Formats: sequence, C-alpha cells, structure tokens
Amino acid sequence: MQTKRTIFPNKLLPYALLAPQLAVTLIFFIWPAAQAVKSSFEREDPFGFRTTFIWFENYTRLFSEPGYLNSLTKTAIFAVSVTLLSMSLALLLAVAVNRVLKSNRTYTTLLVWPYAVAPVVVGILWWFMFNPTIGIAPYMLRGLGIDWNHRVDGNQAMILVVIAASWKQISYNFLFFVAGLQSVPQSLNEAAAIDGAGPFKRFWTIVFPLLSPTTFFLLIVNINYAMFDTFGLIDATTNGGPNQATNILVYKVYADGFLGLNIGSSAAQSVVLMLIVIALTAIQFRYIERRVQY
Amino acid sequence: MATIDLIDLKKNYGNVQAVKGVNLTVADGELIVLVGPSGCGKSTLLRMVAGLETVTSGRIEIGGKDVVRAEPAERDIAMVFQNYALYPHMSVRGNLEYGLKNRGTPRAEIDRRVQDAADILEIGPLLERKPRQLSGGQRQRVAMGRAIVREPAAFLFDEPLSNLDAKLRVQMRVEIRRLQRRLKTTSLYVTHDQLEAMTLADRLVVMNGGLVEQIGTPIEVYDRPATLFVAGFIGSPPMNLIPAASLSGGENAEALQLGADTDIVGLRPDQLHLERPEGNALTLAGTVELLEPVGGESHLHVQIPGTEQPIILTVQGRPKLEEGDTITIYARPENIHPFNQQTGWRTDAS
Repeated sequence: MQTKRTIFPNKLLPYALLAPQLAVTLIFFIWPAAQAVKSSFEREDPFGFRTTFIWFENYTRLFSEPGYLNSLTKTAIFAVSVTLLSMSLALLLAVAVNRVLKSNRTYTTLLVWPYAVAPVVVGILWWFMFNPTIGIAPYMLRGLGIDWNHRVDGNQAMILVVIAASWKQISYNFLFFVAGLQSVPQSLNEAAAIDGAGPFKRFWTIVFPLLSPTTFFLLIVNINYAMFDTFGLIDATTNGGPNQATNILVYKVYADGFLGLNIGSSAAQSVVLMLIVIALTAIQFRYIERRVQY
Repeated sequence: MATIDLIDLKKNYGNVQAVKGVNLTVADGELIVLVGPSGCGKSTLLRMVAGLETVTSGRIEIGGKDVVRAEPAERDIAMVFQNYALYPHMSVRGNLEYGLKNRGTPRAEIDRRVQDAADILEIGPLLERKPRQLSGGQRQRVAMGRAIVREPAAFLFDEPLSNLDAKLRVQMRVEIRRLQRRLKTTSLYVTHDQLEAMTLADRLVVMNGGLVEQIGTPIEVYDRPATLFVAGFIGSPPMNLIPAASLSGGENAEALQLGADTDIVGLRPDQLHLERPEGNALTLAGTVELLEPVGGESHLHVQIPGTEQPIILTVQGRPKLEEGDTITIYARPENIHPFNQQTGWRTDAS
C-alpha cells in the first residue's frame, strides 16, 4: 500500500503543527499518569509534610487487603452483568427494529436518547425510582412480596447499579447492532429460508455469526464502560455501599484517595486499573485489526 | 421432478402493479427462461414462486400442489441468486450441507450428495475453502452445488450469470445448460440478457410491464415475434421497425401485401440483402450512413427517405462500400413482419 507523504519546505513547521496535540497529550495524559506511577511507589504522612519511597509495598499491601480483593470480585460481577444485560437487550431491540419496515427511524432515534444522559443523572433517575422510601419500583415490588431496600441489601444494591448502568449503555450497543444487522445481505436470509431454516435458526446460524465483529467490538467497549465510566453512577446511587457491596475498582480509587486520603494506595490502584485498560485495548486492537474472520 | 403452474398470478406493491396476471405452465424437466427489460416483473415472478414474495392474487402449483401459502422451505425448490448468497462464514462444504442438515438428512446421505455435487461441478478441491477465497466462477459453481445437493423439484435461477465477466458467462451458460439436461430438473431462469435467454431456453417467456408478451421456443419467438415489443427486444441488432406508409407504392406494391390494420413493418437486419433475391422482393433505396465492421460480419446503417431511424442490416464479410454510397436493399416477402402500432400486435397472426 502506498502512503501519502508530504514534504515540508521548512524543517520546523511539522514540529510546530504537531506541538499543540503533543502538548495536550503530555500535560493532561502523560504527566498525570507518570505522577500516579510515581505516587504508587511512595507513602505520604497524614499531613503531607513528608513522602517516603517504599518500592512495591503499596502493591503488595493492596493484594493482601480483603477490601481490595472484594472490590476486584465486585468489579468482575458488575462488568460481566452490565455487558451481558446491555448487549443482549440491545441485540433484541435491534433485531426487532430491523424487522419493522415503516418508522424504524423513529424507533432508532427514540432508543438512542438514553445515551445522551450523563451517568450521574442516570444514577439519580434510578435512585429515585428504586428509592426504598418514595420510589415507585419498591412499592410495586412489595406487591410481589419482595422487600426492596438496597441501602441494607448488598445484592439488591448491585442489581440496582447493574440495571442503571446497562440502561444507559443499551442505546450505544443498539446503534452498532442495527448497523451490523443492516449490513447482513437480505439474500443470505432468503437463501437460508429456502434451505429450510426457520427464523430462529436463521438468526443463530447465519445472522449472529456474521455480526461477530460487531459483537466483539461491543464486548470490549462495554467491559471498558462498566469498569471505568460508571463512577458517577455509583457515586449518585450507592456510594459503593452497603458494606462495600458495590465498591468497584474505579470507585475505590476515588474513595481511598480523596475520602480516605491514602494517596499511595489510591495511586497503586489506579496503576493497576491502567494496566487493565492497556491489556483490554491490546486485545481489542489485536482482534479487531484482524477482524473475526469469515 | 415436477411441473410448475402459474394461474393468473398477480402482485401489487401499493398502487403499483408489478405482475398483472401471468399464466404459465412449465413442463416436467423443462427449462423456461423469463426475459425482459428491468422492471418488467420477471424477478418478482420468480420470487413469488420461491415464496420470498407474497402473492396478491392467483395460484402457484408445484407438482400439482398449491403452494401459495407454503413457506419457501416447504416448496421443494432451490434457488441460485444473482450475488450467489453463499454463507460467508461457512466453508464450501458447510454451504452445501446447510440445507440438508436443516432437513435432518442422515450423515451418510449428506456426504454422498455433497461428493456427487462436487464431482459434477468439479469443486472437490475447494470443499474446505471459505467463499471469500474463491473466484467469481467458483462461487457460481458452489451456488449451483448448493441447489443440486438438495435434489429439489425445481431450480430457480435469478440472473445467476450477471456478476461474471463476459468470457466466464459464456462458459457457465454452457455448463448450466449441460447440467440441466443431465439432471432433467424443471427450471425457471430469469435474465435480461437475450443471448443467454435464446441459448438456454427450451421455451422463452418474454415479459414487459408485468405482462407476458409471448411464450414460445427461442426460434419461434425470433421468427414470429407476436408483438412490437418482442420484435424490438429479441435479436441483436434489433429488428428495424419502419412505418408501412413510407414503403408502399411503386414496385413494392406486389411484395408488400399488407392488411388494412398494418402500419408498422418489421425487418430483421440479417434478413435484408444487397442482392436481389429471386421472385418478389421488397426494394429500398438509401444512402450508407455508417459502416460498422464487427469481425466476421458488418453492420450497415442505411438512411431511407421517409424514415427517421436508419435501417440496420447485417452483411457477411466486409462489403466494398463507403459511407455516403447509394445502395439498394432487398427483403423477401416472407421475411416481412407486419404490426399494428395501436395494439402492438402482429397483424398476420394465425
């Protein structure tokens, strides 16, 4: 493949053109990240007078601390649940919209709206609906004999944040699935129908395999979303509680660092998170670049 | 093995009538080609037979059984699509097996049929490849193979050769013909390519504007086009259609014995001559406007006084003529096709 090459007459011009982007990257991304890595090797006294270099002690402590291991487990449960729930519902909606011939644009537009809502607002929205005192959902659940109180019941709190986080992400997944479905040629469906496959079988044997690049991409994006973009939502609904039940990694970084003022441990946690992001991104690039081949 | 009967078949899309009442019987083992310009309803007709399109009114019978309400899978047909519609994530073998597996065919039987089809189409070495690793012609064969393994009552072809290059198209055309003769499976074949239609068909169905214009063997259709549309559509270069008024008079009176309702006369380019034939002949004088050599033969465009379009005639070899020369051309009386402009019908129909 031939690439376009531009020859600049002035040797400094290309650097000047690159400078703003490089400056933004360096000041807002590389520097804070480097600071975090540095802080993760240090211990600060409670009044901020003195910092000691302690090598990997923050990390070793972290992985022997039950609270952190609990947070890892909760994060895994949360991320997997949000990803599965939001992707399966989005796929269901996309398939439904794809079958509607008239007004599918209207449905698409309406279904995309939740994505425009900020995570904190989403949190507050669901917090109101599931509020044990004034919410509509607990009122109705009581009719079914379920006593809803996510302030004391850790499992219920987890269900609440999973629902809230998924609700927002469904829109995004839906858009990609609709686009993916529309790129599956109609004639394949017709050929399969003539080949004796019913609608359900056609979907699982023809359409779903052809959606695999979309599905894989969304899988990575959703895991990333659940792990990193849901801080505001947790903060607005449960504050990581009750009893650490919804204290996912990204929220714990905030809580330990800014509420507990344990800067060293918080920094170490964010470095671990950073490594997870890098790993996920690497997987994504490796597979998306090659596509899931068919 | 089955017959296909279409009885007063109609299809409307909203207010648009795509197919306006078609009656057709395809005999057992026959290959019928539906031919016509784009938008004439031929593909819609085929898709209705396949069950991919609902029927507005009328009946479709395959093997004497009414299938209008049947699912595509229940009609015992196989279809070859224009874009082949191979399942891209399955190997060639997977593509061939899919329809059989869905019907619960025993494993041994599947293997036998796939092997047979692979032998017939010479795609044995390709069985483990994915469709994207195949050339256009190979994909076409696999699409055919997917139809063959099912051993259906009828094959439906929807412009299967139009995505191939010219050379491959001729080769695959011959292969389809040979295959159909060998398997003797009732077939409906849609194309807009008249050469394909002429060479493949046992019988041709020429369609225009949702209606059947003529049904007949290719030679019948060529020799006695039933309507003006068929006359202009079948044949290359197309038949010359000349107002009758501009020909009558003088020495042509004897050769031109036309009915009162004839106002258009059709003359095939290959049935016009530069030498006077024996007996009566239609005589036309004109000037050579253009000389197109196409290899073994040449096309002469001759401007005749009183007509707008030049008359085209096909001449063997390379005539020693130049543009601007005045010549006389002749046609035998039996090669004159009389039509009525108003009805579009042939006026000497028996």
